[in-house]
Amino acid sequence: MNRAGLLAACTAMLRRDLTLAWRRRGDIAMPVLYALIVTMLFPFALGPEDTLLQRIAGGVVLVTVLLAMLLALDAMFSSDIEDGSLEQLVMAPQPLALMLGMKILAHWITTALPLIVIAPLMAAMLHLPGAVIPVLLLALLLATPLLSLLGAVLVALTAGTRRSGMLLALMLLPLCVPAVIFAAGAVAAAQQGLPWLAPISWLAAALVLAVVLAPLACAAALRIALDA
Amino acid sequence: MTAANPTVSLLEARALSFLRQDEPVFAPLDFQLHAGELALVEGDNGSGKTTLLRILAGLLHVGEGELHWRGEPLQRDTCAGEILFLGHQLGLKADLSPRENLQIAAGLHGCRDGVSVTAVLAEIGLRGYEDEPVRRLSAGQKKRAALARLLLLPATLWLLDEPYANLDRIGIALVNDLLEKHTDAGGAALVTSHGTMSFHGGEPRRIRMHD
Repeated sequence: MNRAGLLAACTAMLRRDLTLAWRRRGDIAMPVLYALIVTMLFPFALGPEDTLLQRIAGGVVLVTVLLAMLLALDAMFSSDIEDGSLEQLVMAPQPLALMLGMKILAHWITTALPLIVIAPLMAAMLHLPGAVIPVLLLALLLATPLLSLLGAVLVALTAGTRRSGMLLALMLLPLCVPAVIFAAGAVAAAQQGLPWLAPISWLAAALVLAVVLAPLACAAALRIALDA
Repeated sequence: MTAANPTVSLLEARALSFLRQDEPVFAPLDFQLHAGELALVEGDNGSGKTTLLRILAGLLHVGEGELHWRGEPLQRDTCAGEILFLGHQLGLKADLSPRENLQIAAGLHGCRDGVSVTAVLAEIGLRGYEDEPVRRLSAGQKKRAALARLLLLPATLWLLDEPYANLDRIGIALVNDLLEKHTDAGGAALVTSHGTMSFHGGEPRRIRMHD
């Protein structure tokens, strides 16, 4: 009998979710399109004035990316609950938190990574100075996984309820405010030539905490959701 | 694997019941299941057959009473990977093929010695449909794809909720065959069914559910 190793299980989980996302490529494109359209509309609404756009560019890109991520968030566990895959996953002789961590990683790769890739384009459309773009990308690389992890906990908590979308948005708002403040703070500081390391470090610290705790909370919440 | 001790039952329920909104779903149950045994869970619609199986699978908490696995109180870690549950929801991803679905299951649970995904799918009657998305299979074929897990994954106790639903006569014979081989090899199974079952190995044990 071949017991499944931890690495094999993690790979199987990650490959599964990435394959599923690839089979539904249209769903991946949606947040990207949304983010592009929103950023494109800002200069039309505010006027093509360079100084104004430069001032708001960092904040607009961050908020747009985080909102675009919300679009795909509530689908994270719903299909697995509907088709019984989650039951099979819970019963597998593997640490559930780690498996869910892999699911969250796959979710981040398929929703946040494409957004980060187009973020320089969005920033350029709003005339963000080129020198600030690396700081913006760094802030996004830390803030988006944080949002994925926090979002996953809330999605798991609301998994049992119907029409959880509204509830999810309400619960997520206070949690993503600090992420937005620190990420935008870093970009604004870089734009003014001030040191930006402190807010980035805060984001990194929050991310480390979330990486450790969020999958455990997800696992506990989903076990409760199934136990009903 | 721990050596099978014939005197200790694999699974034992003592006055087991489950409460939903403080109302018992079924009357307290007492039963034992030994290695090599097959038990049929009988009861009307809504009598709690599925609930019982979900409790034994560890998905629902034990309401009242006790549940023992190999003589020890049943806990998640003690029986991890030894129990295989097949419910109404088949646990197949519709966008993936039966082959991919089984590969994931094998990745999570491990697989038996000397079996391959291709061979298992051929044995379960899905030759030629290995790479078709599960979405395009018929209800019976989906059921077969889910049943293929029984052949592939190592487990001692099978919990099968309506394994005969949607299957044709050949499929039903196939499930009976699987159950017979499993119990002959020292495994145990708990099966719920409305339909009549004809086992080769004589009458199965019966667990009757009452409200």
